[in-house]
Amino acid sequence: MMTTAQKELLSALVDGELKGAELTQALTLLEENDEFRSQWQRYQYNQDLMQGKVIGSNIDLVSSVSAAIANEPAHEQEIQKAAVIPFPKQFWKQAAGLAMAASVGAVAMVSVISQPQQQIVPVAPIAVAEVPQTRQQLAEVKSNRWTVGEPEVEQRLNDYLVDHHEYGGTSGVFSYARVVAYEAGQ
Amino acid sequence: MMLRMVKTAVTIVFISFAITSFAAENLKKIEEMVTAAKTLNYEGVFTYQNGKSLQTIKIIHRSDEQGEVERLISLNGAAREVIRTNDVVTCIFPEGKRVNVNRRPLGRGFPSDLLRRLGSAADFYEVSEGEKARVAGREAQQLTITPIDDYRYGFKLWRDIQTHLLLRSELVTQAGNVLENFTFSAIEFHDEITDDALEPEIVNRDEMTQYLTEPETAVQMASKGPLSNWQVNWLPEGFALVAQQNRLKAKNGASVEQRVYSDGLSSISIFIEKIKAHHGHLKGVTNMGAVNAFGTIIESHFVTVVGEVPKHTVDKIGSAITYEATH
Repeated sequence: MMTTAQKELLSALVDGELKGAELTQALTLLEENDEFRSQWQRYQYNQDLMQGKVIGSNIDLVSSVSAAIANEPAHEQEIQKAAVIPFPKQFWKQAAGLAMAASVGAVAMVSVISQPQQQIVPVAPIAVAEVPQTRQQLAEVKSNRWTVGEPEVEQRLNDYLVDHHEYGGTSGVFSYARVVAYEAGQ
Repeated sequence: MMLRMVKTAVTIVFISFAITSFAAENLKKIEEMVTAAKTLNYEGVFTYQNGKSLQTIKIIHRSDEQGEVERLISLNGAAREVIRTNDVVTCIFPEGKRVNVNRRPLGRGFPSDLLRRLGSAADFYEVSEGEKARVAGREAQQLTITPIDDYRYGFKLWRDIQTHLLLRSELVTQAGNVLENFTFSAIEFHDEITDDALEPEIVNRDEMTQYLTEPETAVQMASKGPLSNWQVNWLPEGFALVAQQNRLKAKNGASVEQRVYSDGLSSISIFIEKIKAHHGHLKGVTNMGAVNAFGTIIESHFVTVVGEVPKHTVDKIGSAITYEATH
């Protein structure tokens, strides 16, 4: 359970009002305390919703979004892997690739709804076949993981990504964030 | 009649001058942003969001007479870390019990010709100043960068008014859809950052496997001859070679050639790796967040194009790479 002091700290953090020792304390909590961190993320979503980034008829979605957050991890979804050139014989790994969208539900829902004017869209409908469009916007597949499904190939792509970011342009500050954020096999 | 033509001409000259200087001024703002990121001492937490996931990442950056050190730690999931110094990038993946150490042949992070590169970007992007907004409790000024064609993405950047540091960044398609977004939630600027704050938090270092990737020496590169057999036959307008390096891969000693092409703002890397072991490779296009990759095999080499550009761009570049046998 979070203490009252922690709750107040969290609330001040969300409002961007912390400085000095208090900020350091909040950052340490973010790093070390799971509950603090997950509560902070929820506040962030709620703040987005409250700050008028949700318009008109979307307002009543707030409750369903909250419910969805409460019920995470949410939905399973099939995802199509990118094609791999087998060499010399096939060694597909089905499970790893298919399960990667496990957490798509709650988080994606909030991110789409909280930014209605700038919807996050899928980048690459992947090579071979079409992605099933079962869950309207939520079915849009984008992942923090290479959609290849073969660890060896993903590993190689990750190594390349690190080298590529050496030369990242404007992302500057954030250039290695993608490497750090890479999702562990789900 | 004559007078009217002169007037029109003067107006056109005036307007185009105004546009040019405006663009130059905005490009200067971007350059200041990059300089701020390199020279300030700061510690903060930012979120990295794309369609399906939201990651929270802590960043600590120090700059002093010894150069730059930067540490990023993932706060969700496995405590992945990247530590970047002047000449080495260390990636720690606790879940795979793996530490990758890449020595950087060029040293000192970003290429020093950034301003020239940004200058060349002026032809391919339109930069405009947007609204002021609050990010991480600080006043920020928004800049919108729109590409002139569909081969690259645009950006929305929020720059701290006081320090010029980039506080928020969005990668945007030409149609205006946001692909991913990095936003500071909290940030502090310090006079000093201790060594402790930049030490990795690896728990069982002994259990981790270390891989060290070294760049090839100038002699090794020279022995391969000045001309590579690889031809890149198509690039989007404005993309030019900005860096090239060969590395020997830590794991299997395979030689990897990397070429980086950029239009000043967007960049793609082409990797050509001699196949050393019997492994599969990416065929066609895949993505990780907003990064697209195209893979194929040519002449016993894995050929891969990676970049924060649309998938049809990596596809088109990758499909136009050929191997020209030396006669």
